[in-house]
Amino acid sequence: MVSDSVILRIEEHIGYVVLNRPESGNIVNQEMAYMFKDVCAKINQNAEIYVVVVTGAGETFCDGSELEKLLINGSMDADYAKTLIDDFSIATSVSSIDKPVIVAINGNAMGQGLELALACDIRYASDGSHFGLLQVSQGLIPMSGGTQRLPRLVGKGQALELILTARIIDTREALRIGLINKRVTKEMLNSEVEAVVKLIATKGPVALKLAKEAISRGLESSLEEGLGLEMDLYSLLQTTDDRREGIQAFLEKRQPKFKGQ
Amino acid sequence: MVNGFESILFEKRDGISYVTLNRPEYLNAFNLQMRDELYQILKAIKDDSDIKVAIFSGTGEKAFCAGADLHEFLTASSPIVAREVRRERDVWELFLSVTKPMLAVLHGFVLGSGLEIALCCDIRIASRDAQFGLPETTLGIIPAAGGTQTLSRLIGKANAMEMIFTGRLIGAEEALKLGLVNQAVPRQRLLPVSEELARRITSYKAQALCGAKKAVIRGFDQPLEQGLETEQRIGLIAAISK
Repeated sequence: MVSDSVILRIEEHIGYVVLNRPESGNIVNQEMAYMFKDVCAKINQNAEIYVVVVTGAGETFCDGSELEKLLINGSMDADYAKTLIDDFSIATSVSSIDKPVIVAINGNAMGQGLELALACDIRYASDGSHFGLLQVSQGLIPMSGGTQRLPRLVGKGQALELILTARIIDTREALRIGLINKRVTKEMLNSEVEAVVKLIATKGPVALKLAKEAISRGLESSLEEGLGLEMDLYSLLQTTDDRREGIQAFLEKRQPKFKGQ
Repeated sequence: MVNGFESILFEKRDGISYVTLNRPEYLNAFNLQMRDELYQILKAIKDDSDIKVAIFSGTGEKAFCAGADLHEFLTASSPIVAREVRRERDVWELFLSVTKPMLAVLHGFVLGSGLEIALCCDIRIASRDAQFGLPETTLGIIPAAGGTQTLSRLIGKANAMEMIFTGRLIGAEEALKLGLVNQAVPRQRLLPVSEELARRITSYKAQALCGAKKAVIRGFDQPLEQGLETEQRIGLIAAISK
């Protein structure tokens, strides 16, 4: 069966991933989760893609997933529940992308939808969007990294409040606590996101990947290990053609033409 | 009403336990009696399945808690004995081991161990007149009720160091900006706002609350990958035992 619940479009080194079930608020179902995983794997294999945008079709970014419903309604054993949780692991899929990922939050991001956004690198949101991790109100806890990534992003105090109260917040509050990088009007969301990803796409693609690795892995290590990793990755970049091209272009006062190697 | 304590009021209503520091004539300064009573109260909060959430506050107009009662400092037991007592009966370790949601409702002075009590809670609501500080270095000592650890994990290393090195007091607005408190509200709104949050929390299942808190707190001190595993393990238990 051919489905288009997740769309991947590639233009000028930018991979656009669109959650495409607008009639259902882009709520993640099992098929969509598989498609999403597949798309993320394709992005990693495609050297032409330097940077990725994730967004939702329609007025909502992603209203959550069917996982919670399945877990609440079904009587099940631990193995089956575990399989279900794995099947719906869209946040794990996006976090496996080794290139910069910008999420354009074009409307509500709830439950797993917010957890997906948290697994991206940079978050821009349009006014009128709302955010919430509602799982505790359903007798569950966030299971796609929400209890881990939210406190790392906004601090333990804010994260505990949002998770324990299952409260919904707007873009103003999301910006204040650092949940999103930028808050823009609905009309400006696409052009603002375009501007930043086009800028990122002019940089050395290997450097982008390794910078992401240095930051993500470094933050999870001791400072000493993090500094060691940074040095190692820097040394690795010294061996690339792109580095030579970057320096050459700078000296010749022209735009570099990177090849990703 | 559950009581029998002198320095702290301890009540329970509708799943919420109210822990109120009650030495207003001493700005609710933390003394040995308070420490011992707090220890028993925390045990009760942990064990009593009727309690879903706890609210910590202080009586009187001027302070949530102005810190340790310095009068006792000069009569304190030898460092060796004090360390042994702490090891046997560590109220701060007990505080941080409670897996139920805890709110700190803060007004006036929130200093030294008073701030450290607030830092052992999960959510901090402050009135706009609140003032926060860790003045220990001014006395030639360091915060030792977890402050050097809990504060830096909440507001970041640089902000924590500035507060600890300078002993400077900061107001509620700055505390909000630093993420030291979740909300800053007018004094008359302090209790209603906090109770509303607490009531909202009590409407959820105890197991989900405790699971979410455990996942956040344990995972925060682990590398992300390990934290994600912790979350899955705890989440799975909540999912199959609904």
